Amino acid sequence: MHKTPQVNEVNEFIEIASDFEDPLEVIREALSNSYDANATRVDIEITQDDEGRNTLTIDDDGDGMCERDLSSFFDLGNSRKHDAIGYKGHGTKIYYKSDEIRVEAVKDGTRIESLMERPWETLNDRELPMYSVEKTETDESSGTRIEVHGFRAGRGFDPQKLTYNKIEHYIKWKTIGGSTAWYFDDDFHEMEITIELSDTIDDTRPPIKTTNRLKFGPENRDPEGEFVAERMCKCYPPRELSVTLDDGQEALIEVVGMVGGKEARNELPTYGKHSAQFGVWLAKDHIKVERYNDAIGADNEFFHFFFVANCQDIELSANREKIRNKSGNVYQAITDELDRFFTKVCQDPWYQDYIERRKLENKMQSVQSQASSLDDRRERAEEQGGLSPSNSAEVVAMLERYSANGAPESFKIADFQLNDEVNTILETENGFDNASIEVKLSDFFKDEPPLTHIDRFVCWKLGDIDALSQLERTPYMDETIRFDFSDNEIKYGEDDPRTIPILELSSKISP
Amino acid sequence: MVSFNVHAEAGEARCGTLQINDRSLETPHLFPVVNFYAGGNEGSLFGGGIHRTIKEFMVNHPPVVGEQNYSDLFPGVMTSISSLADYGISEEKLEWYLHNKIREWESFSDYNGVIFADSGGYKILTQGGIQGRDFEKDIDQDKALDIQLALGPDIFVNLDHPIHPDDEFEDRIEKMKQTAVNARLFAERRDEIDGACYLTVHGYYEAMLERSFDLIEEELAEPIPKVFDGVALGSLVPRKDNVEVLVEAVSDCKREMQQRGYEDLPLHVLGISGNAMPLLVALGADSFDSASYLHQAINGKYYVNLFESVPVDEADFDACQCRICNDDFHRARMRDRMEDLYQKDILGSVAAHNLAVQQRELRKFRQLIVDGNEQAVATYLEESVKDQKGFRKFVYKLINERMNPYFEETDTTYA
Repeated sequence: MHKTPQVNEVNEFIEIASDFEDPLEVIREALSNSYDANATRVDIEITQDDEGRNTLTIDDDGDGMCERDLSSFFDLGNSRKHDAIGYKGHGTKIYYKSDEIRVEAVKDGTRIESLMERPWETLNDRELPMYSVEKTETDESSGTRIEVHGFRAGRGFDPQKLTYNKIEHYIKWKTIGGSTAWYFDDDFHEMEITIELSDTIDDTRPPIKTTNRLKFGPENRDPEGEFVAERMCKCYPPRELSVTLDDGQEALIEVVGMVGGKEARNELPTYGKHSAQFGVWLAKDHIKVERYNDAIGADNEFFHFFFVANCQDIELSANREKIRNKSGNVYQAITDELDRFFTKVCQDPWYQDYIERRKLENKMQSVQSQASSLDDRRERAEEQGGLSPSNSAEVVAMLERYSANGAPESFKIADFQLNDEVNTILETENGFDNASIEVKLSDFFKDEPPLTHIDRFVCWKLGDIDALSQLERTPYMDETIRFDFSDNEIKYGEDDPRTIPILELSSKISP
Repeated sequence: MVSFNVHAEAGEARCGTLQINDRSLETPHLFPVVNFYAGGNEGSLFGGGIHRTIKEFMVNHPPVVGEQNYSDLFPGVMTSISSLADYGISEEKLEWYLHNKIREWESFSDYNGVIFADSGGYKILTQGGIQGRDFEKDIDQDKALDIQLALGPDIFVNLDHPIHPDDEFEDRIEKMKQTAVNARLFAERRDEIDGACYLTVHGYYEAMLERSFDLIEEELAEPIPKVFDGVALGSLVPRKDNVEVLVEAVSDCKREMQQRGYEDLPLHVLGISGNAMPLLVALGADSFDSASYLHQAINGKYYVNLFESVPVDEADFDACQCRICNDDFHRARMRDRMEDLYQKDILGSVAAHNLAVQQRELRKFRQLIVDGNEQAVATYLEESVKDQKGFRKFVYKLINERMNPYFEETDTTYA
């Protein structure tokens, strides 16, 4: 017996429509469809009514649709495209997450109007939604208008989420509107793009008017001035890299891009953190998909780079957000070639100069902040008469000053290890002593280190005397400890007590 | 009579002919290190296991090398006076061995390649001289030259005091001064030498090399080119795996030589070969020496190319174009498929293959330079490091900066 596997069509529609997570993906789909229909103009309008319901309108002057095209528009997996994005016939199904889809198209003298009501509700009632088709003759020029009412954009189209700035970035980074095809004389045609948001979403600026060309730069290789690295920018010309795959076929990678400082990058329609936007983008159909920043190598910071590497041999996941053939040899061959290409970019003398310039300017900036910090310190030192050690090395200097100025007992530093608990060997009149030199004596006891090898303490001041006194109340390393602040000494141990003298310098050195 | 004529250049890479009396050597050239004395007597070519096999290849000894003559792999070889004691030689035996020059021994009388006798400075410095089985000899410049003269090579070099990257500044200066004094002592005996004289210089970057040259020039009574026929850049062995250091040292040495008017002298890079060689040739180095072909073979490693080696058991001889790998006799040896084979015979063939791979790459490079096509040189360099991730940035940097920049100013089609 043979059986045919069954497909749950309703579930498939729901699954595919839900697979698109970012509501802005409707814009990507719309722009790609218009471009593929040879449109030279596409207008997209997003409005939101007082109840938060969204309407998306896409209007282009492309080839329009015939009845067969309309079927592809609504059908699942029935695309008329072959190799390009959209060949799976998944993209337009995102519109199903709505209350109504209305299509009006003119092609070859025929106007076609179609309406699908309550698509999302119907699907969730486990039924396939229907659409009407009406055809009339017309002398209008070709084009398509799609209206999606009540589009379920989650909170994606809310005024808090959606702004012109965000859309402009999305268009240039995630859609055919950021195409680099024009650099390569590919089968490219220019398309004017207008995006308008209702005032309830963003009323801060006029609609976006752009084209589907991604332009790098402007170049600014050697700006004049003191701190210029952030403005520096070099555009790297388009390159076609050819890779031989395991099966002997050639894969073509089209790479173009720029390197630049933050200000230069800000000339582009950026949105949010540069580290999330810049680097090396892998693209298919000149639409950026994922970044491959490993190409730049660990020695370099990827966010200085903005490159697009387009290759038709990469394969995309159903929602086009990810590359799915990463474990294959094709992807390996592509990334190997990109590794080589970007090693060349990183060894470009201009890039090396740019990095050197950045380092130099960072140092110049640190010189400036050093100067201001030194001014602060000097001011403080003047106020305090030069007597305010903040670390043990400064206490050492104070000890030297104390010894040099006719102190009753003289000490010389024989050895000093900054990070050791017993950090100093002192040369005294009676030989060598192990000593701990601290700014505050109480700092030494914070972690209750052993006193076994300490012959004396030198501190600037005693510090928190209460904290020291508290130590007397419990055994210290199983022994008793007593602080005598009048004679400045510590008595440690019970059976064979040791006396550890404390030299408190602040009371000995007058300003 | 010694001369060095450059007959082709591509960028800074150059092809030349080093003529020493009636022997000539095409550069760039790799001098394989050969241990002429490695125990034994003349009948065994003075022995030495795999060292002996190498000498048998060198002088074409058919029982070992088969029906084909592979002596063309050895147009110039390097040996070191310090290696004379590698096999626990007695004082009596050393005196006996040194009473003949290398070519005066019948076994080597037909060898017509160039012999470069290194002073073995590093080993002598660390050991304090030559230590044999029953003797210790302090070696100074005069004694080193005496031994070199006894061996009768074509190229001589002064006894040097190699520096080390970890040397304190004062120690380094002291070593450089001693090398400079040795250079003077060596120069004073120039008339005794019938061959080419190389001067050792040391340093990892320009300031160090400048000091090295300065100290030598101050010590010498005559300009360097009047006394010396070539420059040998030393002390790079401790940094042999740091390509950045090698590139900087060779590049800066060339610059120093140019600034001082010594650019016509050949530059030899002591103790370096392998993957850095093409890059250093592109920077203008003329010759190298190395025992890596031999050491890799001793460890059972078979070169696939300059960058990669595989255990000889896994080697695909069909993929190699070298004559050794296309000779059934040596294929059988390397596969250990012949009776009564010694390890030296198996690995000797592997060493000969390894050397052939290195020589082949240099030969290719020479041809590209002769063709005078800098772009072809750049392409060759780029292709040879294509899959060497850690290495290629140095080659790309060189090409970008000195040959054919990948991203020319004019190469932009931006609107």
